[in-house]
Amino acid sequence: MQSPFNGIRSVALTAAVMLAAGTAAYAHHGWSWTQDGFFELRGKITAIYIGNPHATLDVDAEGEAWRVEMAPPSRTIAAGFTEEVAKVGDEVTAIGNRSLEASEKRMKAVRLIVGGKTYDVYPDRVPPA
Amino acid sequence: MTEFFAGLEQLALARWLKASFIAYPVVNALHIMSIGALLTSVLLMDLRICGAFRSLPYAAFVALLRRIALAAFVGALVTGSLLFSVKASTYAAMPVFLAKMALILLAGINFFAFLRFARGGDEPAGSAILAVLSILLWTSVLFAGRFIGFL
Ligand code: HEM
Repeated sequence: MQSPFNGIRSVALTAAVMLAAGTAAYAHHGWSWTQDGFFELRGKITAIYIGNPHATLDVDAEGEAWRVEMAPPSRTIAAGFTEEVAKVGDEVTAIGNRSLEASEKRMKAVRLIVGGKTYDVYPDRVPPA
Repeated sequence: MTEFFAGLEQLALARWLKASFIAYPVVNALHIMSIGALLTSVLLMDLRICGAFRSLPYAAFVALLRRIALAAFVGALVTGSLLFSVKASTYAAMPVFLAKMALILLAGINFFAFLRFARGGDEPAGSAILAVLSILLWTSVLFAGRFIGFL
């Protein structure tokens, strides 16, 4: 019986699977999934996580539950934003870029303001003063 | 169970990984390396079981790739458990993470079913179905794993 497979086809299949996984991997970390213009979110912190793989804040903005993504933890901590400077219930203003997906309540922050203090987690991306 | 997961997160190793600049990405990379080796060896082994690459001797080829796949799985298990410990309660509550674990379990059952039923000679009867199932299950584990970061 002739084998139903040939080497090139299975190699191509493997490559396609890896490419698909790799492309997905790209979306979350960079800025490709966010809008260009700046976006500002104000609300109350409902959860705070500073650690790998992503530092995140959950924010309640007028009853809407938002997920604010921040820089990788080492960078977020270097910007002075640690689990000590903010706590659940604090008012927060997050400035950054929101998801291209308009229905998705998710943004990536470049600047956070909590308790009157400003933390620039992406100093090179903050809006011009 | 809740306390167990919270306890995992408090382990010194987990806390260190959570804040580390280098260690977490290294463990993550080793997880991906194990996954790559696992999927490649599983795919080649299963294709051979289905009748591809007939110029290669069945028993030796399958035995070699099975050994690589098992070692790669151990690597994925160790590195995956380390990644898990950082946010154990969060992962344990995620449907996609639970789906990934269930798929790994199914793939494991499929593996033992193969050892049990598909015996005797090259390309034993019925083995192709289990091999195709194996490819589908491990590929699904891969996709479920990648989606953990997005849901
Ligand atoms: C055996 C036990 C395993 C455990 C406990 C485990 C656990 C984990 C954890 C906690 C993550 C991090 C998720 C995140 O926050 O992004 C992860 C990532 C991942 N896992 Fe596993 N895993 C295991 C095995 C596997 C296997 C066998 C595969 C593939 C066949 C796999 C594929 C993936 C993929 C593709 C990622 C995403 C990697 C990345 O985006 O950087 N895992 N795993």
